[in-house]
Amino acid sequence: MSGQANEAPSESGSLLLAIETSCDETSVAVVRGGREVLSNVVSSQIDTHRQFGGVVPEIASRKHVETMTIIIEEAVREAGVSLTDIDAVAVTQGPGLIGALLVGVVAAKSLALALDVPLIGTHHIAGHIYANSLVGDIIYPSIALVVSGGHTEIVLLEAEGKFRIIGRTRDDAVGEAYDKVARALKFPYPGGPHVDKLAQEATEEVVLPRSWLEPDSYDFSFSGLKSAVLAEINRSRMKGEAPDFSALARGFQQSVIDVVTGKAIRAAKEFGARQMMLCGGVAANRGLRERLAALCEEAGVPLLIPPNKLCTDNAAMIAAAADLKWRRGQFSSLDLKAEAVMSLEDWSV
Amino acid sequence: MKIDEELIEDSGSVTVLAFDTSTAAFSAALVRDGSRIDSVASFAERNHSVRILSEIKELLERNGMKGEQIDAIVVGQGPGSYTGVRIAVTAAKTLAWAWNKPLIGVSTLEALALGAWLKLRTENEDLADDRDIWIVPILDARRGQVYTSRYAADHSGGWRTVDSDAIRLITDWAELIEDEGTEDAQVAAIWFIGDTPLHQAAIEAAEQSGTRLRMLAWDMDATALGLLGELKFRLGERHDVHSFVPNYTQLAEAEAKLLAASRGE
Repeated sequence: MSGQANEAPSESGSLLLAIETSCDETSVAVVRGGREVLSNVVSSQIDTHRQFGGVVPEIASRKHVETMTIIIEEAVREAGVSLTDIDAVAVTQGPGLIGALLVGVVAAKSLALALDVPLIGTHHIAGHIYANSLVGDIIYPSIALVVSGGHTEIVLLEAEGKFRIIGRTRDDAVGEAYDKVARALKFPYPGGPHVDKLAQEATEEVVLPRSWLEPDSYDFSFSGLKSAVLAEINRSRMKGEAPDFSALARGFQQSVIDVVTGKAIRAAKEFGARQMMLCGGVAANRGLRERLAALCEEAGVPLLIPPNKLCTDNAAMIAAAADLKWRRGQFSSLDLKAEAVMSLEDWSV
Repeated sequence: MKIDEELIEDSGSVTVLAFDTSTAAFSAALVRDGSRIDSVASFAERNHSVRILSEIKELLERNGMKGEQIDAIVVGQGPGSYTGVRIAVTAAKTLAWAWNKPLIGVSTLEALALGAWLKLRTENEDLADDRDIWIVPILDARRGQVYTSRYAADHSGGWRTVDSDAIRLITDWAELIEDEGTEDAQVAAIWFIGDTPLHQAAIEAAEQSGTRLRMLAWDMDATALGLLGELKFRLGERHDVHSFVPNYTQLAEAEAKLLAASRGE
């Protein structure tokens, strides 16, 4: 980490302060030149929401208000910069929980007004994708596989900041399917990592269906697979047997990984991608990482995966994406509106 | 507390920026030494998050003011719309932190009540004896409930909190106010102010004496918020910026259910 407090920002790139509050993490980061993370403070509410078995939007919004200025202060202090050195304020505009987004958006607008600097409303998924630019160089055209609790998308980037969604989930996001299956397997919230671990350790596999949809489609559907897991559990119970949770976890995970990585590789080939990027909270899934790495190597496509702390929701990734707009002078007005649903393609530079 | 001017000469000139988004109204004001410099109000269908900072910026610029020239930021702490109150509180916390200015939270209900009283005070000269006039602000909280409190005002500038902010059933609350007001010879009149059109029937049903329960439909005016904030500032009240939170007056629904479950209800 760089702790040079009196360095002139113009000599070494712009200083962006970014705020992310789209779900249950309050995060603020200071990033120099869109690439160098000076601080990336994340305050997770996971312990609060665990007792409710999932994220409660009203409580998430209340927590964001409680921690907002504390986290801003920590991020500025940790970055070793002075508040007056900040060149612009970036914020997650959407998509996400509207009440949660509002807290970050209003805080960012207040900071932009107080510091008299530009405001940059930023797309959350663009953030997940550009987290990759914090760990490597993105080579275009590039395919991004975005997998998280709220999103499952295959995005084609033909050039820097040009987003084209070629596939998306038609029902549950992959992380959502993991959490639902985890609940059926009696794991506490959030259960995704438990399912991954159990699947890794399994010696048996209950083979479950693959949902490929239409032959040329890059879309996903996970609700049928989740139902298949529940049906298997019921079938065992009717026979008076204990369901084999580890074999089910493995069957579920193998089905998800086959489809997700299979479609991503097919997209990379069809669009002549020179790189694959894996991003979003589910990118922490070990089974998924390993399979995608193997397939990419086989296909001769280099793979970028950010470290876990940049895969889960964080503000440094928002600064990385906002830098695309900063360099082009594309700023938001103080009337920026938080959007629960927001188009990634329209956010392109 | 006296709302009249005796404090002002003692502690020099004070300018505050006040705003509130807890109700259907967005309201912001600049108040200096007990008087409104300028104010703005809009009814943006509870879309306050869009315009709040632009309105504040324009209010300051229009009056040739910068953040550094403000002595304190005063914010309506609620109760009211959960999302609404978070907007003003988040803006106030962040501005106070970035400008390094004191933050003063004021009850939205108290500001609503004082704003109404400042209007009623001149129109109720017939009640200009030394008795109390109760101001009961109500904000609709759905399902027959209101956010409410009670203040006692008099014509010599007296202003006292009788009941602090809470969520109550309007039928029970109106009856209680009427009963207590009837028993108390010191009470000259009772004004329900705020979202009265929505609760007119319940208030009228509680009326026994036939003359003393009165109603005034009234919207938030940040000038009254600023006046209260300025008084608190002069009295040395400050809120810690980091730990300051809205007054929701009740737990989130999920928390209430969890608590009930843990008690075995």
